[in-house]
Amino acid sequence: MRPDRFEAPSDASVKGFSRARTTHRTQSARAALAPAALFLALVTGCQLQPPAATPSPRAPEPTPLPTAASPAAWLTLTDDEGTTVTLAEEPERVISLTPATTELLFALDQGGKLVGRTDFDDYPPDATELPAVATFTGVLIEKVIDLEPDLVIAGGNNFTAAGDVARLRELGLPVLVVYAADLAGVLDDILLVGRAVDAEAEAGQIVGQIDDRIAEVGAAIERLEHPRVFYELGFEPEIYGPAPGSFVADMVVLAGGEPVTTSDPVVFSISLEQLVSQDPQVIVLGDAAYGTCPEAVAQRPGWDSITAVAEGHIRPVNDIIVTRPGPRIGEGLAALALAIHPGAQIDPPDDAGGELCAGE
Amino acid sequence: MNAGVAATRPAVARPAWLESMRHRPLVLGLAGLGLVGIVFVAGITLGNVPVAVSDTIAILAHRLLGWPVEVTWAASAETIVMELRLPRVLMAMTVGVALALAGATFQGLLRNPLADPYVLGTASGAALGAAIALMLPIQVALLGFGLLHLFAFGGALAAVAVVYRLSRLGALNSLTSVLLTGYAVGSLLAAGLAMTMYLAGSNLRQIFFYLLGSFSLASWPQVAIGVPIIALGCAVILSRARSLNGLLLGEETAAHLGIDVRRERLLLLGAASLVTAAAVAMSGLIGFVGLVVPHLVRLVVGPNARLLLPLAAIYGAAFLALADLAARMPGELPVGVVTAVVGAPFFLYLLRRFRAGYEL
Repeated sequence: MRPDRFEAPSDASVKGFSRARTTHRTQSARAALAPAALFLALVTGCQLQPPAATPSPRAPEPTPLPTAASPAAWLTLTDDEGTTVTLAEEPERVISLTPATTELLFALDQGGKLVGRTDFDDYPPDATELPAVATFTGVLIEKVIDLEPDLVIAGGNNFTAAGDVARLRELGLPVLVVYAADLAGVLDDILLVGRAVDAEAEAGQIVGQIDDRIAEVGAAIERLEHPRVFYELGFEPEIYGPAPGSFVADMVVLAGGEPVTTSDPVVFSISLEQLVSQDPQVIVLGDAAYGTCPEAVAQRPGWDSITAVAEGHIRPVNDIIVTRPGPRIGEGLAALALAIHPGAQIDPPDDAGGELCAGE
Repeated sequence: MNAGVAATRPAVARPAWLESMRHRPLVLGLAGLGLVGIVFVAGITLGNVPVAVSDTIAILAHRLLGWPVEVTWAASAETIVMELRLPRVLMAMTVGVALALAGATFQGLLRNPLADPYVLGTASGAALGAAIALMLPIQVALLGFGLLHLFAFGGALAAVAVVYRLSRLGALNSLTSVLLTGYAVGSLLAAGLAMTMYLAGSNLRQIFFYLLGSFSLASWPQVAIGVPIIALGCAVILSRARSLNGLLLGEETAAHLGIDVRRERLLLLGAASLVTAAAVAMSGLIGFVGLVVPHLVRLVVGPNARLLLPLAAIYGAAFLALADLAARMPGELPVGVVTAVVGAPFFLYLLRRFRAGYEL
């Protein structure tokens, strides 16, 4: 299982639970262990998990804070799960628990504040020098505590396990959970993180650059025909592709394609029958970085009847910039658009990902 | 298998020290308690962040005993020792006691050496409950307990209740039907679990790690709720040692000895299921402890439940706390993997070495 896979937030199952935005986290209070209190907490502690994506306002307003609960806070934010996160002072020691936010902090020129990362952060190279405090299996809570961070940025939709987030909060650390269901959500998150680390101007610049790139791609594909595109996320043991309404499906639409998706928002695999009957005109190999090559795809039994295979429209793409909801997402969109429309008038992305399909 | 015969069989080829140990259970018990003490200290001192031994002892003396020690350590060290490691070690020991006692009880009750705490579908029930809890969009925040713990606990107990009803264990009938019913119900629940995992989407990783077991999220509230439940169940089991001895001779013989078979069996089964459910709810599925620790103890002291049960409890605590320590030293391995990798070869060695003279 490749850790990057989990970064593509391709689960729309939490949509539709957007109503309740009230949050009251039950603090770990050892005193309140009487059964009555327990029962009360059980009844009242229930909360609906708010959805990750509310695309409309670009960034959540920082609530001005003269509330009794937080007398001297520097900043109060609402994260993508609707939790109110209070920062007592400007963060100087930040831990990032997703590769996207690690990239973002460096892009915001705040890499110096970063004291911990996950062990699958791979960009920029400076990031790999930092101590890893989270693995695929979870957060190493002792290490996080030992680094004494004043801000932890975690991934929503279980990219960082919900239990780990709850535990870190219990231990008194401010944890900002970010999760983007679509490209607009990524831009919101860049602004949110920028505000949290006091780099709003830089965040605004990055968002501006991405907006420019989106506009450039939009203009380039406007007059072109939008082919049916299958974005292959993996091939073995099943064929994995984007779920309807997922982040990758949204990217394909913006890049000028009509996404071929799985049958349901919570299903990530697609049968060959379904794929053949939907007959994609272009196959984009998101798994190219992991050794899948166009030639190998053409030789798969049963695939030759697909238009994309018959006409040779199978193209590799650097999956990391396409699916990682970080500051390079604009480049990812350009790369994806060029994979779908090779002749389009788009500047080639800065980082095409080096050698693709090097495995075979 | 049959203790009545076994008791008269001469113990052949048992090394002299083992034979002498058999008659010195007090020595074994004290040695076990000593081991528990050593593991306790090691479990608090070691971890994936180094905290000096002197600091650890000073923190414990300061916080637990209220000694006026000068505070020379970092606040993070205190959090690591008091909020992370101490509850974690206590939780591992509690679960170790629970699983070892439940295993010994089921092995005796069902007169089957392959029985373990999960034999009556507890594991599948808990796993399915946990998986369903993770799929629900509702989050319950209750002193470190989530819906997951609640559902896992309920699922485990419900599974046993169903097995109990279906197999009509209340009547004096064949134990084989209980085992087979447990197996069938367990298989059905496992199929439900597989289906839930298939549909789990981004929650799959959490379900997966729950199945492997871990103490990484142990907290004081969990200890405060889990320990009393497990202590209650263990007290019931320990107080029924005499009945368990009687039941080892067979239901009929036990009835002739004046034991109320149906009541005693229900009590033992209920208590063993209760502690197992509490254990799996808190730590996930940790295999092997409940199977092997009772066997190891039995190899030394024989099948007498009045010795077996307390000794199994002591060594279960030491073994699981040690396994948890081994699991977190290199990062965060699933503790269930460690118990099997370390325990299985050791058990095989003992079985081969002391093959003669083994009785259930």
